This record gives sequence, C-alpha cells and structure tokens, in this order.
Amino acid sequence: MNNSDSIVAISTGASSGAISIVRMSGKDCVSIADSLFVSISGDKPSSFVPRMLTLGTIKTESFNEQAMCVVFKGPKSYTGEDMVEFQCHGGTQIASGVMRECIAAGARIATNGEFTKRAFMNGKMSLASAEGMMDMINAESDAEVRAGYNLLSGSLSKLASSAQAELMDVLSEIEVSFDYPEETIEYITKAKVKERLVRLEAEISKVLATASAGKIIKSGINVLIVGKPNVGKSSLLNKLLDRERAIVTDIAGTTRDIIEDSFMLGDVKINLIDTAGIHDTADKVEKIGVDKAKSLMDQADIILFLIDSSRAYSKEDEEILTALKGKNYIVVKTKSDLNEKLNKTFENEIEISTLTGDGMENLKNKILELTNLSNIPADSIIITNERHKDALTRANKSLGRVIKNISADTLDLVSIDIKQAYIEVGEITGNTTSEDIIDQIFKKFCLGK
Amino acid sequence: MIDQKYDITDYEKNIENKVYDIKDGDFFDAIVVGAGHAGCEACLALARTGQKTLIINLVRDNIAFLPCNPSIGGTAKGHIVCEVDALGGEMGKQADANTIQLRMLNMGKGPAVQSLRAQIDKTGYHRSMQKALETQENLYIYDGECTEVVVEDGKLKAVKTADGKTFGTKAVVLTTGVYLDSRTITGEIINASGPSGFPYAKGLTESLVKIGFDVRRFKTGTPPRIDGNTIDYTKFTRQDGDENIQTFSFLTKKAKPNVRCCWLGYTSEETKSIVMNNLDRAPMYSGVITGEGPRYCPSIESKFVRFSDKDRHQIFLEPETLDDNVIYVQGLSTSMPMDIQHKMVESIEGMEQSKILKYAYAIEYDCIDPLNLYPTLEFKKVKGIFCAGQINGTSGYEEAAGQGILAGINASLYLRGEEQLILKRNESYIGVLVDDLTTKGTNEPYRMMTSRAEFRLILRQDNADQRLTEIGRRVGLVDDERYNVFKEKMQQIEKLNEEILKTVPNSPKLKEYLDSIGEKMPTQATSLKNLLKRPAFSFVQANEHIGLVEGYSREVLTAVEINTKYSGYINMQRDQILHDQKLEEKKIPADMDYASLSGLRLEAREKLAKIKPLTVGMASRISGVNPADITVLLMYLK
Repeated sequence: MNNSDSIVAISTGASSGAISIVRMSGKDCVSIADSLFVSISGDKPSSFVPRMLTLGTIKTESFNEQAMCVVFKGPKSYTGEDMVEFQCHGGTQIASGVMRECIAAGARIATNGEFTKRAFMNGKMSLASAEGMMDMINAESDAEVRAGYNLLSGSLSKLASSAQAELMDVLSEIEVSFDYPEETIEYITKAKVKERLVRLEAEISKVLATASAGKIIKSGINVLIVGKPNVGKSSLLNKLLDRERAIVTDIAGTTRDIIEDSFMLGDVKINLIDTAGIHDTADKVEKIGVDKAKSLMDQADIILFLIDSSRAYSKEDEEILTALKGKNYIVVKTKSDLNEKLNKTFENEIEISTLTGDGMENLKNKILELTNLSNIPADSIIITNERHKDALTRANKSLGRVIKNISADTLDLVSIDIKQAYIEVGEITGNTTSEDIIDQIFKKFCLGK
Repeated sequence: MIDQKYDITDYEKNIENKVYDIKDGDFFDAIVVGAGHAGCEACLALARTGQKTLIINLVRDNIAFLPCNPSIGGTAKGHIVCEVDALGGEMGKQADANTIQLRMLNMGKGPAVQSLRAQIDKTGYHRSMQKALETQENLYIYDGECTEVVVEDGKLKAVKTADGKTFGTKAVVLTTGVYLDSRTITGEIINASGPSGFPYAKGLTESLVKIGFDVRRFKTGTPPRIDGNTIDYTKFTRQDGDENIQTFSFLTKKAKPNVRCCWLGYTSEETKSIVMNNLDRAPMYSGVITGEGPRYCPSIESKFVRFSDKDRHQIFLEPETLDDNVIYVQGLSTSMPMDIQHKMVESIEGMEQSKILKYAYAIEYDCIDPLNLYPTLEFKKVKGIFCAGQINGTSGYEEAAGQGILAGINASLYLRGEEQLILKRNESYIGVLVDDLTTKGTNEPYRMMTSRAEFRLILRQDNADQRLTEIGRRVGLVDDERYNVFKEKMQQIEKLNEEILKTVPNSPKLKEYLDSIGEKMPTQATSLKNLLKRPAFSFVQANEHIGLVEGYSREVLTAVEINTKYSGYINMQRDQILHDQKLEEKKIPADMDYASLSGLRLEAREKLAKIKPLTVGMASRISGVNPADITVLLMYLK
C-alpha cells in the first residue's frame, strides 16, 4: 500500500546505548528526510543510493546532529514501503529531537507494532510470522526470542497441520458414511473414532502444558518473598537483584509497601516481589501491606518463605507455613552466618546468608528447578501466544466433548465437534476449508455409480 | 392413459390457447431455454409469479426426463428437493406422486444427515411434469431449438430459434443441461447427440461466447440398461423400501406405497480383467474424451484403474418405470465399446444371460464458468440473463431444480424491479450450492454433499419449510394452500413446546417404554421435555405406547423432539452463524480496486478482481484467497 501516510519511531527504544535509530516508513518519508538531512557533500536523501549509509547533518530546531542516513526504496524494505533510517548519537534526548523534527515535517508517531503490521499488509510476511516477529521484538529474554523464532519458523504451524490432517482424516471417514451410505466400504466405528481422538487430545495437551512455560518465557515468573518482619526479605531482594533496591534496616517493618523488580536468571526472567512482613499489626499503613501480601501468595508462581535461623520458630512462622500449604514454595533459612537457634528442618529448605553469599547459588538453582523449564528441550514447541493457546484449548474442549459423548450421540453430532476442533486448530495456520475434507474422501475411497 | 386428476376438457383448452398461438416476433416477459429439471422450476416460478413466460425446448418427450438414474433424492439431494418444495416448487410434489420405492438414508446417524431417496417411475414423472407445464397459466411451450441470445448495446433484447423465429424478451433463464454441442461416446462410436438419443443444441454456444460467457467442456456418463426379465435375481440381495416415512413435499399427505424393490450385487474378477485388458479401447484412456468428469461418478474403468487393489465393485439394480421391466445398473457407468459392454455384463453373477436394451455412454457438453454469475444466478455482464442447472457445471436433477427455482424467482424479481434473492449458506443447501459455485467455481460437475454444509444440523429436511416458506411467500411463489399448512404446523409446534413442559407421571407404561430402550426411570416424575432429551427416547414411539400428547402430526412431534434433543448443538451452530455474520454482512464496494492492495498476494488479487465478491464472507471462501488476505481486506475496509 504505497499511498499510506508516513510513520516514525525510535526503533532502539528508550535504552541509553551508544547510538539510536530513528526510523520512518511511508510514501512521503524520503521527502520528509530531504527537509531535514544534508550529506557532507551537500546531497539530499532522495538522491542517495538505496540501502547505503551516508554521513551528514540533521538540522533540528534546537541542535544540529551529525548522523548517518540510509534510504530503502519499497518494496525492498522491511515494511515494503519507502523507508528512511537515521543513526544518531545515543541518548533519548537526541533521538526524540530528531523524531520531533520528522513529525514537524509531516510524519506521525507509529503505533505499537505498526511497522510489522505494514510489513504484513504489504505481503512481506505471513500472519504467524508477523506474530512471531512481534513476540521477538517484545522479547525480554533469550528463551522468549527462541520461542518467537520457533513460531516464526513454523514448528507450531507444523504441529497444527498434523493435528488438522488427523482430524480431517477422521472426519472424512465419518463424512463418507453420510454421503455414501450404501457403498461397500468398511465404515469407521465409534470406538475407532474415540481411540484416535483420545490420542490426539493427549498430544495437544502435551503442547498445551508448555503454555505455562510459555507464559513464564514471555512474562517471567513471579517469585514472592514472604516472612516475618526483619527476617531479611529486603536483603535477599537486593542480593538477587544485585543492587540496593530496598532499604534495609534492622527495624522490623521497614518495608511497608510492595517492592517489585525483575532480573534474569539464566534464560528466565524473574519478577521478584518483596512483601511487607507478615504479622498482626495495628499500624494502618502496614496493615494494608500485610493483606496485600496474603493475596499475592495466591498469584505467585513460587514463594520464598524466609525464616531467621538465628531466632526461635514462632507462632507467626507456623501460621505462614500453614498458609503456604499446597503452594509452590521454598523455605529459605536466612542468616546462616549467625548462631543457629531455629533447630527445625523443613521440606524444600535452603540455607543462605546474604552477608557472605553462602547458599545463594543453591537458592537460584532451586528456583529454576521449580519453574519446570529445565524439562523442556530448547527446540521444543512452546506456546507463548495467547491466541494459539486459546485455539488449542478450545480444540481440546471440543475433542473432550466427543470422547465423553460418542457412545450415546449420533455421528452427525460427533462430526460437529470434530469439525469444530478442526476449525479451531486451523485458526493457528489459517487453514479451514471443507473442500479439503471432500478431496480427502475422494482420495481415500472408491465411490459412486 | 388418462390421469383422473385433470379435467380433460380444461386441459385441451389450455393447450389450444397457449401452444398453437406462438408467432414470430411475439414478446414474452421471460424466456426459459430448456425444460429439464432446472428449466421446469424456473418457468413455473416465473409464470406463477405473474410473468408471461415462454419455455423453448427441443422435443416435448424430454421434458423433465431422467436420463441417468431413475431416482430422486439421496444424501443432501433429498434436502434440496424439500427446499425446492418449501419455496413453492414442483419437484417434491411430482416425485411424491411418482414414487415406486422410498427409503430414508442414514436413519441411525442422526437427524442432520437423514435424507430421503425415492425410486421414481421415470415416464410417469416426465408425463406429470409435462402436464404441470402445459396447464400452467401464463406459461407457453415452444418446441424448437434456441440458437441465439440477442444482446444489443449491452442490453438483452430477444432470443432466436433455429427455425428463424425471434421472440422479444426482458429476461432469459438458460437451463440447457447437457445438450449444448453435446456428443455421446460408446467406444469408437461418437455421435453428435443429446442424452438417450435426443437431439442436441448446435448454435447456442457460439452466441454465449459472443455475449461474454467463459465456456468449458464437461463430461459425465451413464450405465447400460438391461431387460429385467433376463436377470437371475436370486444372485442378488433384495433391498426393500421403508414404510411410514416422510415425503418430499410438505403438501403430500401420505407417501405412496413401495411397489418395487432394488437389488444389490457385485462385479466379478472376470469383469475386472475384461476392463483392464481393454483399456486401449476405453475412450477415457485412449484420449478420445477430453472433458472434465466427476470424481463422485466415475466410470467402472476408472474405478478399476484408480483403486487397483479392489477386485470387485458394488452394483445396484434399479427399476426404471412401472410400464416396463427396464433395469438401470448403478455402478456400471462406462464408455467402453458395445462388444466389451456385453462381455462386462455377462461376467456378472446373475446376469450371464442378460440382454442390454440401451448401451452405456459417456457424454461431453458445453457449460459455462459459474464464476460468471452473481449469487443470484444472474450473469455479471448482461442484466436479465440467468443460468441454472448443468450449464453452471453442476450434476444431478436436484441440484438443477434448486438452481432453477432460484433463477426463476430472481428473474421474476428482476422483472418486477425488486431486490433479488440470495439464499445464505446458513439457511439452505441451495444457498451452499450457489455460494460454492459463484465463489469457488468448479472444475468438475459439482454434486451436493452434506459435507459441504457448515450448519447441517440447522439445514435439515424436516425443517426446510421453517427455513424457506416465508421467503417463498415473500417472493410470491408460496400460495395460500401451502402457506396455511405451514402456519398451522408452526402453531402446533408452538403449542407443543408449551405442552412438553408438563410433568409426566411415573407410570408402569412409562417404565415399560423406558425399559424397552434401555433407559432408567427418573427418580422422581420429570417433564416430558427432560425425557425427550434422552438420546434413545423417541417421541413418536413413546407417544404410541404411553399416550403423552394428543392431536399432533408426526412432523410436529419430530420437529419438537429434534429441537429439544439437540438444542445444545443447534444453539452452538446458531452462535457460530452469529459470529460469522459480521464477515457475511461486511459489504465490499463494487468499484473496489484490488490491484492497489499490494498486501494481497498476486493470486488473491486476481481472483478477487475476477469474481468481485459482494461481501467479505464470500471473499473468504474464494479458493486462492487465504485468511491473511482476508485480514488485509478487513484492515483496508476498516
């Protein structure tokens, strides 16, 4: 679509690297670039050789910036339209200034993902690839990039296609019995339909099980730190983040608010949440913090329950432990450098000292172990996209209905659910025609007068 | 033979008034070309909605002729016959009147896929349909060959005949069947001929090309006919009809009794070797036949070739008429030479002594690309020209009738200056058929199958009237008699829906019935509605046994039972329809410039520009347009 308006964005995001790239796409973007960029030899971007960097100056209202400029002529560009990129010095101030200048000259700020959307609209990539690309662009961890790459390269599409092929085959067996009820064909039995669908359901379930891993890869896992006041929650947070994020004092109840921050643990993004110390309190501000901590426990993926090994086991500790029943938690005995007064062992316990760093590696490994990610091979299909998860979940629900009802229901009803599952799985690849089923019927069976 | 139904004097008067009065230069509101199953429905729909209509047909003997199998209905086809009837058409009534054996297919597989199929007395059917045409007010029959559709300055003017007559008109429905420049092939013998020795139409194809139709060549075939007195039936399995089942027409009170049966048998290994050893003489394989044949209706030679692991194939003996003892051998369609046909027939157990009365043949004919048509069946290039039936690349009497009635209705609406009718995929098989033809086109003769319909639990035979009779009434085709029958049925259904809410007392009779179907007694007395939801519970049987309700017809009981029993799935399909509706209703501007949408793949761009879909829903079904293209289209239209 070459009549589209010109969009602009800082492609390198809000980070403070050595260079920033400001990117434009649209039919007027080259003439916009002409109005603000001149090469050192005095040429305008419209006369540049495409896809070649040229040094020059960007004139803005408040500063002149020495920068590189490259012009792409559509369709040989990412979006398929004419594009211009400026590589200027790092720092958001300079990049923002350049972007403002582009806007003043007629471009508008791109919406989220608009470059990729245009690439899709102009036929530069498929829908699944565009989704994969968006996932990769927004990725914050290596694993997430890898999952995005798998989507882009089509392993999920392949799974969906093979599931569809199986559903289509079962359907064609049923359909042929409807449309050709009087042929000498061995028609499929309900038992056989059930057997094949049970197998397929299990396969899809296996992939669906990675959805939680997919969510972890995409959004990170939420690790909640709980424990009595002054057991060292904030110290552990700072240690894991490797910086002074929380104020640490020896006065119980210093952390009244919830502190959230994240760090990378190998491939995995960990969202740490430090809660206010859990104990009965009359202090109103702190009370809110405590209530919040209890509700957070329900939403956390992993809970680190901190107990001060230099103090005796208390009623409050026992209460917290009771509240953790059935949850995914690790008991972290803190202050292992001090004298032991706890004299108690727990399942899933780790001893640490944030002062000496003892036990920290053990703790990190334990957290990784609990994410269950270690079980998933690097090249397996991991669902990170909500739309795909939703499609597969619905497909399995339809299959579940068939499996449950097939002995009592007539085949016409059964076929509705199978067709439904076929369409749902097809949403991933975008392949849902009934013509395929008819082709299959004629390929497999000898029919007709 | 004089049919008691018609007053002979009235009949003669009608013929006198209408037939012998047609002169060169006469004007008709509409002209239908060809009186096969499509043409008959089209001309009746036009005449019954007040249009002075002429039907031009080669010879009177082939009106509503059944050149292939002597049956009407079958899977998905039975549905179409019920739909034609619900709209106010003729096929259902005539099929009911000429039924000699009736079966309900797919009985145990659920209500969605149950289809009626009737063995038909084919001479009886032809005669009574002919009579329906001859006695129809506003309708005139001209025995002759149409050779030209005259279009001047893009406007339809007239049609011309081979004997030099010109008839002025404002609307034309082309229902030429397999007669356009057709030739029949039996081994080395090739005849310029219509089916069954009838004449063929020579000149019209050229005229159609001239006014802008894309013309193709399709092929189909038919098996040999055998003297029924020369068959040893003890070598075959007898197949009887079903008693007490519904009829095609909602107006027929009671199905005709079964007076004939069919027979099931097999080809032998010898048949296979005869075929395989003579493939060099089979026109299909020697290159004589070039037309596209249907996959679902293969000749016996292509069955042996394509499925070489099978040693035998099923054949089915069907009686053709009540007047004589001619047997149609379903499954033995071929274009082999006559001497080979003799050997093939004699190789079948029970047919060693059989006499062939008519040899099998393949037939090639001209037809148009249905992508030339709107889903109203109107030609895209010239207003007022409609096409229906095999000329559109379909096969089957029922498919033809379904298109014929739609084309007739739309030609009439066109003449009346009213908005034309598009039947939706979610309201009829006819809608599925026409939508498929006009969005996907077809590369072989198109046959309707239940698998083609997305919402088949909603598109049942038993509710065809609920889906279509109001539409037929709106366009003026449903008369008071039919409409009153329909209204009464709807009132009864409404009343019964209330009545099933009442509690059924736990009685010994109820227990007896439930025991007989292997169901448990409810722990406490429950409503009739809840009982109906049990899969094995049959309203009709239970009512006969227990006497649950009184004064309802079988159809009403069945309608309420199905709606109750399958409400979950029916609602699921209704939700799906609502979900799809957005796409179906999203209109695409007629002047859409697809070339400028570079996001569309080249193939999609070309297909969309050629087919010009009216809605995004239609666009999504065009082959070569994939979901990504639809996303591009939607984003553009937003």
